Amino acid sequence: MQRLLDVIRLRARSLVRAHRADAELNRELRAHLELQIEENIANGMSPDEARRMALANFGGVENVREEARDARGVHVIENIARDLRYTLRALKREPMLLVAAAVSIALGAAGNIAVFSLARAFVLAPPDVREPERLVYVGTSHRSHASYQRWLDLEASGGLEHFAGYSFENEVNWLDGAAAVSIMPMMVTANFFEVTGVPVARGRGFSSTEARAELDPHVVVVSHDFWQRKLAGDSAVIGRRLMLNGASYTILGVLPPHLRGVAGFGISPSVYVPLNKTLLPDFARPNARMVKLLGRLKPEQSLVEGRAAVDAIDRRLARLAGDTLYGGVQDFTLVGGLGSSKMSRTVGVFIALLGVVSLLVLLIACANVAGLLIARGTRRRQEIAIRLAIGGSRGRLVQQLLIEGLWLALIGTAAGLALSLGFMRVVNSIALPVPIPIEVHLSLDHAVFLSAIGLVVLTVVACALLPAIHATRLTLVPALKREEPFYIMRRFTARGVLLTGQVTVSTVLLVTALLFLRNLTRAQVTDPGFETDHALMAQVGFVQGRPDADHSAFLQAAVERIASLPGVDAAAYAAWIPLSTRGSTNGQSARIGDNPNAEHVEFAKHLVGPGYFSAMGIRVSGGREFLTTDGPGAPRVAIINQEFVRRYFRGANPIGQRLRFVDQNGGDIEIVGVVTNGKYITLGEDQRAAMYIPLRQESDGLRVAFLITRTRGEPIPLVKPMRDALGELDRSVSVVVEPMSSALRFALLPSRVGGAILGTLGVLGLVLAAFGLYAIVSYNVSRRVGEIAIRSALGASRGAILRLAIRDASMHVGVGVALGLGISAVVTAPLRTFLVAGLSATDPAAFAGTALVFLAVSVAASWLPARHATRVSPVVAMHLE
Amino acid sequence: MRPSDLIQGTLDVLILKSLATESRHGWAIAKRIQTVSGDVLQIKQGSLYPALHRLEQQGMIRAEWRQNETGREAKFYSLTKAGRAQLDAELSQWERLSAAIKLTLKNA
Repeated sequence: MQRLLDVIRLRARSLVRAHRADAELNRELRAHLELQIEENIANGMSPDEARRMALANFGGVENVREEARDARGVHVIENIARDLRYTLRALKREPMLLVAAAVSIALGAAGNIAVFSLARAFVLAPPDVREPERLVYVGTSHRSHASYQRWLDLEASGGLEHFAGYSFENEVNWLDGAAAVSIMPMMVTANFFEVTGVPVARGRGFSSTEARAELDPHVVVVSHDFWQRKLAGDSAVIGRRLMLNGASYTILGVLPPHLRGVAGFGISPSVYVPLNKTLLPDFARPNARMVKLLGRLKPEQSLVEGRAAVDAIDRRLARLAGDTLYGGVQDFTLVGGLGSSKMSRTVGVFIALLGVVSLLVLLIACANVAGLLIARGTRRRQEIAIRLAIGGSRGRLVQQLLIEGLWLALIGTAAGLALSLGFMRVVNSIALPVPIPIEVHLSLDHAVFLSAIGLVVLTVVACALLPAIHATRLTLVPALKREEPFYIMRRFTARGVLLTGQVTVSTVLLVTALLFLRNLTRAQVTDPGFETDHALMAQVGFVQGRPDADHSAFLQAAVERIASLPGVDAAAYAAWIPLSTRGSTNGQSARIGDNPNAEHVEFAKHLVGPGYFSAMGIRVSGGREFLTTDGPGAPRVAIINQEFVRRYFRGANPIGQRLRFVDQNGGDIEIVGVVTNGKYITLGEDQRAAMYIPLRQESDGLRVAFLITRTRGEPIPLVKPMRDALGELDRSVSVVVEPMSSALRFALLPSRVGGAILGTLGVLGLVLAAFGLYAIVSYNVSRRVGEIAIRSALGASRGAILRLAIRDASMHVGVGVALGLGISAVVTAPLRTFLVAGLSATDPAAFAGTALVFLAVSVAASWLPARHATRVSPVVAMHLE
Repeated sequence: MRPSDLIQGTLDVLILKSLATESRHGWAIAKRIQTVSGDVLQIKQGSLYPALHRLEQQGMIRAEWRQNETGREAKFYSLTKAGRAQLDAELSQWERLSAAIKLTLKNA
């Protein structure tokens, strides 16, 4: 115990009174010296000689002092404080270095912070709810949405503390003054606010007793944005009324600004309405897909226990409902973070890609700074050599150089934070061209701030460690004499490896970025295989209607009604539209033509109505269109695209041939037509085979259908007449009408956003890489002024010297480019799904363009200083050494 | 022999041993080890003082400023109780080890 106290006392004394401890050591060492001198004199030396011998035998005073300090164990803290002061002073003396390094790091860090805040806004941050760690997304019975009855049953089962439900896919008309505006409300179960604890800033949320769907509640809670923009921030908003689909709703509350909604992905509906039969007359229909489920775990209930409980209950409920196949839990994930849905995965992959790219940009920036520091280290060789010679320890010097890096990283990252704040402000003001109400609110929260600190650490290690080690590993004598080491003779130098590595990383980044940029410009002009101009698209929802009924009668009537509108050339219906979000492909075994063996065929399957191809602007290259006579009683027919012919009919004429799906008892299908190829699911897909089948011959209960209208002139003026016409036909269907070109903007969105962000990062990376490359190459050449002078003195021609300088730089850069291109070919392969056709992941233009840029920069960077060096008189140059 | 040739950790034992009989200052410790070893072991200040400070830090020895016989101020080190116990432990271990090595070299 006593010993422990002693240790603590000593450490404390050392730390608090470091100066005194040092003074004491000095005194002790001086005493030692003098005792030695005394003895030397006693042994018969003269006082002067005695002193000289004692000093000579003593060894490095500085060394002893440093090691003794280390032994006291407080060295580190004390030194860091001193180094922080010292290095900042030193850096202030070199403003160019400071600015160049800080700008590099700032640009690199800004990209990373922005991408991280984007990731947080979209997927990582939990929604604003009470105790998000107990709230889960629940997916049951292989459906994204549960029926109202299933929600009631689950809520009554007590498997979790509570269940709530929501959906934001329906549209309602809000009467804004005289005109109706279509908005997408958040339709929720009555207990939504109680279960989730979504905060309400003014007024209150509705309660489960007053808002029960059976009571047909007419209350609403509005978003902050809606209140501010659409209701002019009316201070008496509580109690005001909104007209939704012709009925009046009382505003109970206003949500806080920048609320992260439970639906995630920045989805921010304007109004929250309890389910009710005015808006959704059929909300209680047994199989209607009504709401996505949220579950509140009981206190102390784990995720696994909750999942097991809900699974058992849902299986039982499904059995009772006569569904033996699909009961049970498929999704049970905490809110916030990446869910297991396909959308989450896609968004996650995309953001991960952005993260990797922005990290690469930062690495390039770090390589720049490392290059600068190495160059500077070489210039400071003499200072460093002196410090090592008088006994400064190498660890101590490395530490000091690292702290220098820390300053650069701190200053750079702080500037990067400021830059990314500006970026966030810009992004927050952009409205995304998407059909769902998405509000992206990027902000600088603690997690983003922590990520910035992580970046500082990463930056220090990446940009200062190598230069520090490099600078302190020198042979003393030539360094003291200011001689250059014979780097020129060595193949592998830290600078050379760094240069090559930097070029490699930059190449990978730029190839990726260029690929996306080319993709972007290409996507604007890619032909999807149908005409998007002069076309309107109506999405018709039968959610409220009769799901199992044959809607073809309604659809046929709608087509005829629309076709009779003035300005309409053609109209048709289909179960889905290519490049909309619902596409999928089929794989089945089929017997084709005379071939007795079944083979596996894979194709995009379209259920379409008569006149589809002329309405879509798809050319029928052989055979015929579908006719109104291709109905349920008539012989089964199909139309295929040219790719289907090429693949499965081996190019033979398929018209009149027959095809039979093995596991389908529908009999033979006759091929009656061939149409041109198109894009079906993404613009970037490889050419798919496609088969078109009359919707009336294979209707299996549609929920959504599309009506395509080809117009003579601009389609916009026809939006309203078309909506009115459909509304008159059947009031129960929901209708969204928009020009096809804007509907398909969504298909282009991933490559547009990706192109914009990666393009920006790519340009940033290119500027940084070119800048760094130039700095390092020209520095390397300028170090060789002496050598060049000798060569010229010995009679080397200017041309020969220029060639030599350029060859050396080009070799390092060339190896880097080659490595980078190789890695790029591998890395970019998974990007194919994002790319438009005709653009492969190993796009020659992107690859060659990148290589050319780097080689051009390296030639320029070596040529200019080399030319300068050849003009220096040999005598002057030799004296520089 | 140079201190760097000493078996790692031996310096600490030598210092503790030299302090077993009386308290000494740094120079006297080095001198003592050199004399007793017949000038074979020469301890450099670069090793001695860090070792002394480390031992003090570990609570094996304590230090005080006193005057030596010629009236000069010097920092005198002496063993603590823990230091004495440590020395005994190290000595007996050293005996065992060196006996074993001797036996091995003689008979193997």
